[in-house]
Amino acid sequence: MKEKLLSLLLLCVVLAGSAHAQTRKISGKVTSAEDGSPLTGVSVIVVGTSAGTQTDAAGNYTITASEGAQQLEFRLVGFQSTRIGLGQSALINVSLEVDASTLDEVIVTGYGTTTRRDLIGSVSSIKTDLLTNRPVQSFDQALAGKAAGVQISIPNGVLNNPPVFRIRGTNSISLSSYPLIVIDGVPTFTGDVSGSNAGGNALASLNPNDIETMDILKDAAATAIYGSRAANGVVVITTKKGAAGKAIVSYDGWFGVNQVQRLPKLLDAFQYTEIKNEGLVNAGTFSDNLQYRLTIGPDGQPINTNWYDYAYRDGLSHSHSLSIRGGSESTSYYFSANVTDQQGIILTNDYKRLGALFNVDHKISKIFSVGGKLQYTKQDNLATISSGSLSGQAFGTAGLGRIAMINAPNVAPFTNDGEYNLTGNNLGVMDNLVSQIGFYNPVVLIERNRSFNYLNGIQANGYFQAQPFSWLTFKSLYGIDYLYSTNDIFNNPIHGDGFAGGGSATNNYTARMRWVWTNTLNANYTFNNAHTVTALIGTEQQRSTDRRFGAGRTGLSDPEFDDFSASYQNFSTTGSYGENYLVSFFGSLAYDFKKKYFVSGSIRQDEYSAFGPNNKAGVFYSVGASYEIAQENFWENAGLDRVFSSFKLRGSYGTVGNQNGIGDLASRTFYEGGLFGGQPTLYPNSSGNEDIGWETSKKLDLGINFGILRDRFTFEMAYYKNDIDGLIYNVPQAPSAGLPSNPQLNIGSMYNRGVELTVNAQAVNKPDFSWSPSFNITYNENEITSLAPGITQFTSSTSSLETVSISRVGSPLGMIYVARTAGVDPATGRRIFINAEGEQVYYDHSLPVAQRWQYADGSVAPGIGSVDQIAYANPQPKFFGGFINSFRYKSFDLALNFTYQLGYYVYFGTGASIMDQRFWNNSTDMLRRWTAPGQDTDVPRVVAGDNVSNGSATPLDIHVYKGDFLKLRDVTFGYALPLAVLQKINISRTRIYVSAQNAFIFTGYPGTDPEASSNGGSNSSQGVERNSVGNGRTFTVGLNLTF
Amino acid sequence: MKKNKILLIVTTGILAVTSCRKEDWLNPVSVDQVEADFAFTTPDRIHAQVLGLYSALKAGNFYGGRYIVYNEVRADNYINLTTNAVTAYLVWNHTTSNNAQEVTGLWSSAYQTINRCNLFIDGMANGGNEVVGAEQAAYYVAEAKLVRAISYYSLLQLYARPYWDGNGSMPGLPLRLTGNLYAGDYDLARSSVGEVYQQILADLNDAEAALPTNYSSAYDNTTRGHRNTAIAFKTRVYLSMREYDNVISEANKIVSTSAPFTATSGVNHALQDDIVNVFSNYTTTESILSSPMNAGTDVVGGQTALGSYFYSVREYYLNENGIIADPNWRLTDRRRALVDTATLAGTPRSLMAKYPTPSPYVDYVPIIRYAEVLLSLGEAIARSSNSVDPRAVALLNYVRQRSDATTTFTVANFATPQALFDAFLHERNIELLGEGLRSPDLMRLGLDLPAKGTVSSVSANAQSYIWPISQTELLYNNLMEDN
Repeated sequence: MKEKLLSLLLLCVVLAGSAHAQTRKISGKVTSAEDGSPLTGVSVIVVGTSAGTQTDAAGNYTITASEGAQQLEFRLVGFQSTRIGLGQSALINVSLEVDASTLDEVIVTGYGTTTRRDLIGSVSSIKTDLLTNRPVQSFDQALAGKAAGVQISIPNGVLNNPPVFRIRGTNSISLSSYPLIVIDGVPTFTGDVSGSNAGGNALASLNPNDIETMDILKDAAATAIYGSRAANGVVVITTKKGAAGKAIVSYDGWFGVNQVQRLPKLLDAFQYTEIKNEGLVNAGTFSDNLQYRLTIGPDGQPINTNWYDYAYRDGLSHSHSLSIRGGSESTSYYFSANVTDQQGIILTNDYKRLGALFNVDHKISKIFSVGGKLQYTKQDNLATISSGSLSGQAFGTAGLGRIAMINAPNVAPFTNDGEYNLTGNNLGVMDNLVSQIGFYNPVVLIERNRSFNYLNGIQANGYFQAQPFSWLTFKSLYGIDYLYSTNDIFNNPIHGDGFAGGGSATNNYTARMRWVWTNTLNANYTFNNAHTVTALIGTEQQRSTDRRFGAGRTGLSDPEFDDFSASYQNFSTTGSYGENYLVSFFGSLAYDFKKKYFVSGSIRQDEYSAFGPNNKAGVFYSVGASYEIAQENFWENAGLDRVFSSFKLRGSYGTVGNQNGIGDLASRTFYEGGLFGGQPTLYPNSSGNEDIGWETSKKLDLGINFGILRDRFTFEMAYYKNDIDGLIYNVPQAPSAGLPSNPQLNIGSMYNRGVELTVNAQAVNKPDFSWSPSFNITYNENEITSLAPGITQFTSSTSSLETVSISRVGSPLGMIYVARTAGVDPATGRRIFINAEGEQVYYDHSLPVAQRWQYADGSVAPGIGSVDQIAYANPQPKFFGGFINSFRYKSFDLALNFTYQLGYYVYFGTGASIMDQRFWNNSTDMLRRWTAPGQDTDVPRVVAGDNVSNGSATPLDIHVYKGDFLKLRDVTFGYALPLAVLQKINISRTRIYVSAQNAFIFTGYPGTDPEASSNGGSNSSQGVERNSVGNGRTFTVGLNLTF
Repeated sequence: MKKNKILLIVTTGILAVTSCRKEDWLNPVSVDQVEADFAFTTPDRIHAQVLGLYSALKAGNFYGGRYIVYNEVRADNYINLTTNAVTAYLVWNHTTSNNAQEVTGLWSSAYQTINRCNLFIDGMANGGNEVVGAEQAAYYVAEAKLVRAISYYSLLQLYARPYWDGNGSMPGLPLRLTGNLYAGDYDLARSSVGEVYQQILADLNDAEAALPTNYSSAYDNTTRGHRNTAIAFKTRVYLSMREYDNVISEANKIVSTSAPFTATSGVNHALQDDIVNVFSNYTTTESILSSPMNAGTDVVGGQTALGSYFYSVREYYLNENGIIADPNWRLTDRRRALVDTATLAGTPRSLMAKYPTPSPYVDYVPIIRYAEVLLSLGEAIARSSNSVDPRAVALLNYVRQRSDATTTFTVANFATPQALFDAFLHERNIELLGEGLRSPDLMRLGLDLPAKGTVSSVSANAQSYIWPISQTELLYNNLMEDN
């Protein structure tokens, strides 16, 4: 069967190439010097020619060399490259030494490659084995803690939601702070491209197992070549390519189960009924006709519903990737296919992907080569009901995260007759004598609604390359990134959001299409064995269009149907078109003297369609230098070389820009058409700014890198400062000015500065046992230095409803903004608030409205409101990082990867939801409520209808907690089957493993997840968690096979 | 080597082509919007802008629904069912804060409307007049002034103390009379209540003088301002100012001296035989100005539409101790047909049913109706003369008997002028239920906002008698002061 599959796949590939001159065959076996195990995939090259092959699964190779050939070179990442002179023997067996040094590691930078030794800029390379075989949907979800300066937070437990991805702090206010992601030379779409209740991260098109290299460019020296798009850093990814040699087939698969964790504990039906009645009594409204009551269920027992059971599940997931890579001396290929089907912790939240990637490279002649890539991915992002977790959903009536908490536990989803339990468009009250007992009945929505997103993505490119001299390369690459997003949404007419309209169906369609054409000329010349010059010039054009249309229908004629195509009474349509175009010229020049002194410079001009006519072109540049002291004679004379294998000082400065998020037509002022009674209208709808341009980030980076004991330990330290000027800010005009929109002006300024430290070690490296820990930590400090004349602060709301974030000049972006409290009055059980004047104000919801707020002396006080809120705590972590450990003992391997964030606060808004004294169910904290004078407690007296005392009306300090956490993000334990067994069945490597994601969270934070955020990737309202679903815990078992 | 030469030529070709760029792509134009500089260039665009003024008024936060809802639920006729903070619960509960979305949303929406009027008036003066001709231009500008006046008046009802408090001397609104389209310094202090009222009257007087007497269709007569619209609105404004003589002189322009009371010039406003018709046939001469709703093109949504609040989604039911409890509002009164019943949580409740159509909510939203003018006139006559005036009683009786022929008011029914004043307030409460006038009526008379359900009454001097000022206005207008 395996043979059949292979032969079918290989049919796709045309193998070419033949030898003409007098040749001879050489063969042999390559093993590891460490343990003698055969090494697979070692590149074997005849030095001075392009002839090369790879070792097979058993470490064997056969290569044809011309008679004049002198040496063979053997290369494998992680081992020292070795050259062996050719004698008469046709058999050459080699054992390769493990290479602890990373200085020769290849780094893919903008429009070229370099090595860590030559690198001046600040670049983190991610080991791809940290990204693969993880139960994630997109590679960025797996990046947390993997590189210094990179902060990843996964804001909720909805599958395929894009993580918050920050490099060296939040570097914008109004534009995107997401880095530029370049995959195989094409800047790709990022962000949530789903329009449904499921997440749709554009980056999930790329199967993490197809990633060959990932380099994160951080400072100006590394990023300035990307000009106006580089302020948030650049992530450069290349996908796997083929290599000469026998085809290597790999299979990677896993099965997993995904579980919810750390849900708040809630009152049961008995506690709920008692406490809510107590609230009615305290309010003075308890009566025969107004009270909460238990309902006897069909089993004769009082109904006691845990609504979590109707919201969450153990999700089952599996994933399979199959790849084939190989090639001849002139043509190489990589093909992979992947399928994954994942169930989220939220009922009906599924993610499916089906993808294939084909990379081919071919040398036409000594000078010319061509190649290309074709990747197609289909993704299904499926949900029914809103989880209440994606940005903007926090207060949605249908938000499952919230209704699972606050729906009353003393009613059931079904009546005793088995019908849906409904009262009007809410959950049915059953025997309770109150008008409302819950929001929607989630069971109806989960059974009957649909919120599906389908993504079809095509990423393709083709290149033509000419290398007339060994030191000069011209390359022309044309690439496309097309992403088609289709939504199919249905809300049933019986219950929920579709109720008022008698059922509704929405279909909409977005086509994002981008092409990029890049032409570069690269020169790399060394003369006198001392001076190396690297030069690059290039041009690039990029054009993107975005066309959307959609239709909504309401008033379903026949409730039997639920499709958009059924018969409905009403319809409405939407449509939009956007386009932008970037034209760039760039160049860079680097020089080093004897790998000791390095200098570099780069420059780029970007002309961008969205920039205003007065600011059409931006020029960005960087300069950098580094100094490898370990190459100096005095270093050796001082004996320092015995300790330090390398010691490099480096620094860079430059300007880069950010334009991601400037509206395509932001410079223009428009009137828009609408309808009034069906007749056309025209009205002002946007205030433009003809001066609008890029945000400028001036980046300074100073670093020391050193390795000790032959690089067995390496340290990288960097100080950085990003001064951002011309921050685009939608300068709020007084609402009474009546402007159609707040104009975007390049007006604000802000900085991020910090220190990064990475320590890598080969702590133990014995034949049978090794331990390689890697630790990184980043300290970051953010401060807004100016906004706009006369404007010293602005607030940001969560889901347009709760204003709990404030950004002030002189403070970090998005401080948590709450009113202060001073506990609960033991005498009366009233919550004590502190107003703007610092006075204590008591609140008693049972009094007539005008008297509810009182000073201690009983006189009436003004109510606590937004004027009493203060900038209370910083939601941006001061420290974050990771601790990555890989252990190997004989055939066993163990990975323990931690991530942490420290020194920040989270507003646990959910805490306010589950202490609200309307019909809402409460946290078991309510069992501590004040009930008798003299009682010392932190939970006030319950009064029916009270939405003030516990923070629903005005956000309060009682719900602000330290977010500090340490997560065991992933732990993997694997075992590689003995080779002797495998070779008999023609398999070179079999590894089985078990793994857990988010296995443990060490935190004092009381909510489900201190990473959770209701505002997605928002810059100015981080650290707010309201009614969302946290990240689950996933256990997987997996298998890696190599043939 | 020949192959290599060809390829070298290809290389050079690519290098040459790549330096070209498309200027059109670098300077894209909108495919769906009109550049501001070209908004006044054709008669069609200018006409569309006039309708755009009304569509601003019709915004969900304003006369599309919520302005009416807020003024209804602040008063005593409703009980909140859902405690939902996004459907006016805080308004009903008198607990709105500066950043409550009701407070910020309506403020912005009203000022957007005002700014559209200002931009339009400016744009007409700067070239628009020539495009449509002087006569048409005068009509259009008068419509803009009418919409501006309605907007300022409506803001005063929620964000400023009533006129009687200090005789207009209390803080009113930032008075903006020129259009704003670009970033700028927009700090502006509040004018007094009296100054804002003077501007409203100036606009309405201009509008009355310049508006057409009528349009060619009943639809336009109801959805756009004409001369009688401006006059009718003035009766409301003067009543709020307690300038009863002016109410009388304005109302008399459009109310005949004796029954049947009708407008004798311009649009012939008159009560319809059956009030129920007014809420299903939206363009009768009784509806002086309404916001039209058109299924499929421009309706307001749930949580905004009157029908969703009071009838379909049932956010509020009618307070059993409110006006529906009045035994003298006879069960046979046709206005009772606009009250429906439903069983909510096992209890029979009454629903305000003037806007019964479910989503899409196509029931028109009344802005001013002729019955109000008649009642305002009658009340003004009685209060102005401080007597049980026979014409006042006749007006009261006219409105009552349209719906309840079995009740007849005579002068003898009212022992004192105050009894007649009370009867007018009472009649307005029945007749105009659901039309957003209850709270302004109570406030213009300095009456408490009565208790209802679990909510206590709010006295006329309480802070929560009016709303706080929008938080965003306080933040970004440095000269603004809170209530």
